[in-house]
Amino acid sequence: MEAKVSPQKFIVPIGPQHPALKEPGHFEFTVEGEIITGATVRLGYVHRGIEKSTEDRNWVQNLYLLERICGICSHIHATAYVLGVEALANVTAPPRAQAIRTLVCELERIHSHMLWLGVAAHEGGFDTLFMYSWRDRETVMDLLEGLSGNRVNYSVNVLGGVKIDVDEKQAATIRKGIDFLEGRTQYYMKVVTTDETFLGRTRNVGTMTYDQADALAAVGPTARASGIARDVRADAPYVAYPDFPIKVITERGGDLAARFVVRINELYESYRLVREILDKLPVGELTTRVPRRIPENEAISRVEAPRGELFYYLKSNGTEKPERIKVRTPSICNWATVMNFAIGLKLADMPMILAGIDPCFSCSDRAVIINRKSQSQEWSWEDLRQYGIKYYR
Amino acid sequence: MDITEAIQTAQDLLNLWTSGMSTPDLSRLDVVLAPKDLKPAVRILQKAHWGYLSAITGLDHPPLPASPDGKQPAKDGSLEMLYHFCEGAAILTLRVSAPYARPAIPSICDILPYATLYEREAIEMFGATFRGTPNTEHFVLPEDWPSGVYPLRKSFTGLNKPQKAN
Repeated sequence: MEAKVSPQKFIVPIGPQHPALKEPGHFEFTVEGEIITGATVRLGYVHRGIEKSTEDRNWVQNLYLLERICGICSHIHATAYVLGVEALANVTAPPRAQAIRTLVCELERIHSHMLWLGVAAHEGGFDTLFMYSWRDRETVMDLLEGLSGNRVNYSVNVLGGVKIDVDEKQAATIRKGIDFLEGRTQYYMKVVTTDETFLGRTRNVGTMTYDQADALAAVGPTARASGIARDVRADAPYVAYPDFPIKVITERGGDLAARFVVRINELYESYRLVREILDKLPVGELTTRVPRRIPENEAISRVEAPRGELFYYLKSNGTEKPERIKVRTPSICNWATVMNFAIGLKLADMPMILAGIDPCFSCSDRAVIINRKSQSQEWSWEDLRQYGIKYYR
Repeated sequence: MDITEAIQTAQDLLNLWTSGMSTPDLSRLDVVLAPKDLKPAVRILQKAHWGYLSAITGLDHPPLPASPDGKQPAKDGSLEMLYHFCEGAAILTLRVSAPYARPAIPSICDILPYATLYEREAIEMFGATFRGTPNTEHFVLPEDWPSGVYPLRKSFTGLNKPQKAN
């Protein structure tokens, strides 16, 4: 994980600015020729001090703050938080609320995976697939907006339940949207598994074996593409997953191609789950009462975000405000993996490999190639992307 | 491994070192360890292939003055690091405390290299010291962050405001 600074080697710093993606991060790759010999990561360019801020806000205010940690998987943050607070207060949301939380979780996963599919295809130079998947993703965005009123930060959860209901008309719209997306997903699967030019960029690229993924504690689709059947929805079912069990999708390849196949197969699983929840939505209340002050206690809440296990630790102190909230997002785990398995790979593959873990960061608009002795040359992320595409021409 | 089995295995593995165990709920086991016992405990978990390190949570326990009635003596400030390991639905938390005066905790990066990101975070956020950690550079705080200011300590109230006495 450490980049050893040596005067003979080139260090390629990538980042932190990138206006097109989600969040900035900074990477330094030490290269010998085309091959990477060391990698290190530096984050914090969008560090907002949210964990500290939670200690100054009450339990209800924090729901809205924490939902804004991520613009892509906002609902899963809110879900992890409300489950933690409900555990601290020793209350359980009603079954219908849990089912609606699950429904939105899965719709969010669909939108997140389709967003990733577009980004990853774009990094490899396959802009047609990028345009298709982002166009089709609008379908699920519209479904989420129809349900919650919002395209992002759906604000579906409240402490003790949910604030939206699903009626028959909405259910019919969702079913129709899901049918359309299922057809499109078959097309994506065909492209990523049969298109030779696509496979040329993904097959046997960035391979992480089962043992590596296990030793590096990978999570989410990144781990499952290396054959590790690790999914919090199945391992420690939360919200309505005990009633609507999921099938854990794994692949054995461990390469980029496997990461595409895992996520696309997970889309099918999400479609199945969305239909099943709509068919068997429990009847009843949407909320239950949660006290304003929460007695001194500790809780751990784990959920499966689109990128993998999301971990919340919550500590209450008997007041209206938390004593401490710790958030560990799945991307942290997967950065650690990519920084390790990047060693020995080609620089030209890095755009797709970084995108391949679906990192919740954005990379860079400015990369600088420095020869520590004499010359330096400035690259943008776009230059690096183009370099990768040209390299494979 | 189901939850009870996983918890039982962890209990058996760690019995040697612990100075206190509790099960806050069915899926959780909390184990209090002395800093010197952390590495042997992590090594045995790794050897037994018990789960993976899911996160390290830092907690700040600021110093407490003696209560006016004299019933509670004054308490020195300390940091507590919680090492959360997950195996299926079971969560094992190793709890290690170090006083402000002697904040050093052994680094576990030689056993679990991916712990470096969590250790770097705890160093800059809490002022923890990990003996033997490979990288002490800032992870999320800016380069020009003043040294000796730890934002997740309770005494930190903002950069432009006077700090609480500690």
